[in-house]
Amino acid sequence: MNPANYLYLSALLFTIGAAGVLIRRNAIVVFMCVELMLNACNLAFVTFSRLHGNLDGQVIAFFTMVVAAAEVVVGLAIIVSIFRSRHSASVDDANLMKL
Amino acid sequence: MSASSVHSLWTTAAPVADKFPTPHIEYAQLSPVLIVLGAAALGVLVEAFLPRRSRYTAQVALAALGLAAAFAAIVALADKGYGTTKAHIAAMGAVAVDGPALFLQGTILLVGFVAIFTFAERRLDPRAHGNQVDSFAAQGSAVPGSDQEKAAVRAGFTSTEVFPLLMFAVGGMLIFPAANDLLTLFVALEVFSLPLYILCALARRNRLMSQEAAVKYFLLGAFSSAFLLFGIALLYGYAGTVSYSGISSVIDGTAPMNPALADTTGNDALLLIGLAMVAMGLLFKVGAVPFHMWTPDVYQGAPTPVTGFMASATKVAAFGALLRLLYVVLPGMRWDWRPVMWGVAILTMLAGAVIAVTQTDVKRLLAYSSIAHAGFILAGVIATTPDGISSVLFYLAAYSFVTLGAFAVVTLVRDAGGEATHLSRWAGLGRRSPLVAAVFAVFLLAFAGIPLTSGFAGKFAVFTAAAQGGAMPLVIVGVISSAIAAFFYIRVIVLMFFSEPKPDGPTVAVPSLMTSTAIAVGVAVTLVLGLAPQYFLDLADKAGIFVR
Amino acid sequence: MSFPLLTVTAAVPAVGAVVTAAVPAAQRTTAKYTALLFSLATLVFAAVALVRFDPDGDRYQLTESHAWIKDFGLRYDLGVDGIAVVMVALTALLIPFVMLAGWHDADPLEDANPNRRWRPTQGFFALILLVEAMVVLSFEATDVFLFYIFFEAMLIPMYFLIGGFGDRAHAGGEEEAARQRSYAAVKFLLYNLAGGLIMLAAVIGLYVVTAHQLGTGTFSLQEILSARASGKLDIETSTERWLFLGFFFAFAVKAPLWPLHTWLPNAMGESTAPVAVLITAVVDKVGTFAMLRFCLQLFPEASKWAAPVILVLALISIIYGALLAVGQRDIKRLIAYASVSHFGFIILGIFAMTSQGQSGATLYMVNHGISTAALMLVAGFLITRRGSRLIADFGGVQKVAPILAGTFLIGGLATLSLPGLAPFVSEFLVLVGTFSRYPVLGIIATLGIVLAALYVLVLYQRTMTGPVKAGIEGMTDLKARELLVVTPLIALLLFLGVYPKPVTDIVNPSVHHTLSDVHKTDPKPALEAKK
Repeated sequence: MNPANYLYLSALLFTIGAAGVLIRRNAIVVFMCVELMLNACNLAFVTFSRLHGNLDGQVIAFFTMVVAAAEVVVGLAIIVSIFRSRHSASVDDANLMKL
Repeated sequence: MSASSVHSLWTTAAPVADKFPTPHIEYAQLSPVLIVLGAAALGVLVEAFLPRRSRYTAQVALAALGLAAAFAAIVALADKGYGTTKAHIAAMGAVAVDGPALFLQGTILLVGFVAIFTFAERRLDPRAHGNQVDSFAAQGSAVPGSDQEKAAVRAGFTSTEVFPLLMFAVGGMLIFPAANDLLTLFVALEVFSLPLYILCALARRNRLMSQEAAVKYFLLGAFSSAFLLFGIALLYGYAGTVSYSGISSVIDGTAPMNPALADTTGNDALLLIGLAMVAMGLLFKVGAVPFHMWTPDVYQGAPTPVTGFMASATKVAAFGALLRLLYVVLPGMRWDWRPVMWGVAILTMLAGAVIAVTQTDVKRLLAYSSIAHAGFILAGVIATTPDGISSVLFYLAAYSFVTLGAFAVVTLVRDAGGEATHLSRWAGLGRRSPLVAAVFAVFLLAFAGIPLTSGFAGKFAVFTAAAQGGAMPLVIVGVISSAIAAFFYIRVIVLMFFSEPKPDGPTVAVPSLMTSTAIAVGVAVTLVLGLAPQYFLDLADKAGIFVR
Repeated sequence: MSFPLLTVTAAVPAVGAVVTAAVPAAQRTTAKYTALLFSLATLVFAAVALVRFDPDGDRYQLTESHAWIKDFGLRYDLGVDGIAVVMVALTALLIPFVMLAGWHDADPLEDANPNRRWRPTQGFFALILLVEAMVVLSFEATDVFLFYIFFEAMLIPMYFLIGGFGDRAHAGGEEEAARQRSYAAVKFLLYNLAGGLIMLAAVIGLYVVTAHQLGTGTFSLQEILSARASGKLDIETSTERWLFLGFFFAFAVKAPLWPLHTWLPNAMGESTAPVAVLITAVVDKVGTFAMLRFCLQLFPEASKWAAPVILVLALISIIYGALLAVGQRDIKRLIAYASVSHFGFIILGIFAMTSQGQSGATLYMVNHGISTAALMLVAGFLITRRGSRLIADFGGVQKVAPILAGTFLIGGLATLSLPGLAPFVSEFLVLVGTFSRYPVLGIIATLGIVLAALYVLVLYQRTMTGPVKAGIEGMTDLKARELLVVTPLIALLLFLGVYPKPVTDIVNPSVHHTLSDVHKTDPKPALEAKK
C-alpha cells in the first residue's frame, strides 16, 4: 500500500480534530480533539520515518506521546477544577472576561 | 569440547551490531539550563519533604539562588567567547550555544529573577487569619468559596509550589530560543507552557476568572502546539530531518538528494504548509494578530505577578525561537515568508493599538499594548539583517523590564476585592500617591516610546533596522500605530493626574522590599536603557550572530 | 577643554527642576525662590553666551561634541549660530517673568484638603524649569537626532503644565474647567506627538540615506552639510522631498501653521496665562526655528519646491488667525488666534527666501515672544482679578486701574505692530522681503496688519473704555510684583523698536549662511528681483 495514504489519513484526522476544537462546546471534548490532532501528528511522523528510512520520526512520536501525557495531566487538572467550581465544562459559559 | 564450540554447531554468530554511540553532552555549556531545571526539581522535593512553615523561605531562596547561579553561568560562558568566536551547537545538534541564545537566556533569567520578587510579595493582601498571604490561592484544588478553601485559608496554606513551577517555566524558556532542532523546540515549548497554564489558574482573588483564563490559555495553547507539531511533521517529511541545518541545506539544495524520495524530499507544498504551521505556533506564543485572541483574557485573569512574568519572558523566548527559525532555517525562503510577515506585522501593530483604545481594564490595556509591541518587534524581525537581530534583542530586553515593572505597579492599587484594575478606579491616583502614579507614568511613557526612555531606544533601533532592510512602509505604519497607541497611554496618565480622586477609590498598598525592588529595577532599566544604551547595544550587536 | 557654556546653560534649569521638586511640601515660598534663582542663573549664562558670540566669526560657535549613542549615530553636539544664540537668550529672558507672573498660580486652594505629599507648587515651577532646559537644548543642538529627542521630550512637562494647572476663571465651574483643561492637554499632546512621530520616520529615513551613502549613519548637521557640499552625499530628489515633508509636518504642528493650528487656542485658552506665554512665546518658537535650521539647511531643494504651497498656507494662517481673533469672545483665545496670525508672518518670512524676509522672521520670533508675553501676562492679571476671561464681563477698567489698562494698551499696540514698537521692524522686514519676490503675497499679507489693528483696538475698547461694569468697580491696579514683570518687557519693546541693531547684527550673518545654503545654484535672486 502506498504510504502516502497514511499521510492522507493523518491529515484527515488532524482536520477532524481541528474542526472539533473549533465547534465543540464541552472543554473535555475540545481537549480530546486536541489529543486527536497530536495523534494525527504521530501518524505523520511514523509515516515519514518509514518513507525516509530513518528512525527520527519514530523517536519523535515517543516524545509526542510523553508530552501529550503531560498535557493531559495539566489540562484535566485545570478543566476539573473549573468544572467543580461552576458545575459546567462548557467553554461558552467561560465568559467572565468578555469585553 | 567447549560450550561455545558446541553452540557453534547449530548457530552462526550474527555480526555484532555497532553499539549506539554514546551521546556527547557538553554539560558545562548547558549548565544554565541544567542549574535551573535542577533547582526546579529540588523545589519539588522541598515541597514534598519540608514542613509547611519553612517552605516559603526555602523555596524563595532556592529559586533566587538557582536563577542567580544560572545567570552567573551565562556570564561565564559569554566571557569565554561562546557568544561570539566559540559559538557552536551542543548536545548532539539539539541546542545552540551562540550570541542570541546567551543574550536571550540572560534576559530571561534576569526577568525571572525579578519576577520572583513579585511572586514572593506577602505584604499587599491583608492578613488572613493572622497569616501573611501572597497573590496565589491557598490551595489550588479547593473549590472557590467551599468549606475546604476556607479551611485552607484558616490554616494559613499558601501555594509555595509556584516557585518550582516558575523555575520549570524558566527552564523551558531557556531552551526555547536555543533549540536547534524542531523536536527540541516542541519539547521546550511544552516545558514552559504547561507550568504557565497552572500558574494562571492559581490567583487568590477572583479565582473563577483565574481558572477561566487558565482553561482558555490551555485549550488555545494546546491547539496551537498541535499545529506546531503537525508543521514539524511536514517539515520532517520535507527534509527527512528535524535539525535546523539539515532543513536549511535541503532548502538551499545543497543536501545530497535521494532520488527515490523525490516525491517527498524537497516537496515545496510540504515545506510551505509546514513552515506556515510552525510559524503559527510561534506567532501564537508571541501574541501576534490573528493569533492574539487569548492574550487579553489570560493577562486579565491570571494573577498579576504571573501576568508580568508571562508577558515579558514568554515574549523574549518566543521571539528568540522565531528569529532562529527564520534566520537559520529559512534564509533561503525569505522571499516567501517576508510578505506574509509584513502582513502579520502591519495587522498586529494596527489592531493592537486600535483595540487598546477601547479598553477599560488596566490589565487588558497592557495586554493589547503588548500585542502592538509584538508588531513593532516583528518589524525588526523582518529586516533580515544583522542589525535586525541585534535590534530585536535590544528591544526584547528593554520591553520586558518595562512590562514587569508596569504589572508590579498594578499589584499595588487595591480595594476590598483585591486589585482594582478597572480604569475608572485609577482616577486621581496621582493626587493620592504621586510616587506610584509617577512611576506608572514612566512605564507608560516608555511603552509609548517617548525619548529618553528605553521604549524609545528600542523602537528607534527596530525601526531603523527595518528601514535599512527596505521596509520603510512598515516603519510608517509603525509610526502611525505608535501615535494611536500614545493616545491610550496618555489617557491613563490623564486619568491618574488630572481627574479628581473618588472618595471610595482604591488604596495604594505599601509593598514590602520585594515588590519595591522589582519596580525600582524596572524604572532603573527603563531610564538606563533610555539614556545610555550604548553598552547594551554593543552587547546586542556582538550577540547578533546565529550559529548554523 | 574649554568651559562647556552651552551645556551649563541647559543644565542649570535642569538641575533647578530637580532641586525645586525636592523642596518639602510645606515650604512653597522657598520652592518659588529657588526656581526663580535658577532661572536667573540661566539668564546670566545665556547672556554670557550672547556676549561671547562673535557675529563675524565661525558659523557655529561655542561648540561641544561628544559621542552619545554610537549605534544610533546620535552625538551630543551643541553649537549656536546667531539665530540660536538669540533664541536661547529670549527663552532665558522670558522664563523669570513667566515665573513671577505665575507666582500664585499654583498655590493650592485654601479650602482644598491638603495631602501632605501633593506638591503642586513645587511641581509647577520644576516643570517650567524642565521645559526651559529642553527648549534651550533644542535650540543648541546641531545634531538632528539630539534635537528630535528634546523636541519630543519637552511635550511631557508641557502637557502636565497645561493639564495640571489650568485657568481657574472658567464660566462652567470647576468641574467643567477640569474637563476642558484635560481635553486641551490631550489635544496638545496628540497633535504634537503625531507630528513628532511622523518626523521620527523622516529621521530614520535620513539615517538610512546617510548610512547608505556615507558608510555610517550620521545626524550631525555639519557633517551632512559638508558631505553635501563635497558631493559625497547626494539625496535623490523624491527622497529629499519626503524627508522634508516629514520634518516640516512636525514643525508646522508645533509652529502652528494653518490647518494644524487647532490645538493652540484650546491649549492657550485653558492654561494659566504664564503657561500660555510659555507655549506661544517659547515652545512654539522651536518649530519656526527648526524650519530655519533643519528644513532649509538639510533639504534646500525640497524647501524651494515646497515654498509656494507653504507660503499660501502661511498667508491663510495670517488672514484666518486674524479673522478668528476678531470674532472671539474670550480674551485668551483672542490672543491665541492673534498668535496663529503672527506665526503665519514668521513662516512667510522664512519661506520667502530673501535675506530681509529671514532676518525679519528671526527678529519677529524675538519680538513676538516679548510682545505676546507682555500682552498675555497683563491679560492674565486682568482675568485673575475679575475671575472671568469673557470680554463681555469687562468694561471701563481704565478708570479703576489705569496702569493696568496702560500696559495692556502698549502690549496690544505692540501686537498690532505700531511703528516705534519692536514688532513693527520685524513685520516690515518680513513684508518687504516677501514683496520683493512675491508682490501679490506681500500685498495680501498686509491685510493681516489691518485686521490686527481691528481686533486689538476693539478688545481694548470693549474691556478698558466705557462705563465701569459690575464686578470691575473694586479692581486693584498692578502690584509691585506685577509691575516688575511688565515694565522690563515694555522697556524692551520700546528699545528694540527704536534700535533693533544689536539683534540684527547678531542674526544677519547667520541668515546669510542659511540663505546661501538654499541658493547654491541661484545666488541673490532677491537683489535681482528688486533691480
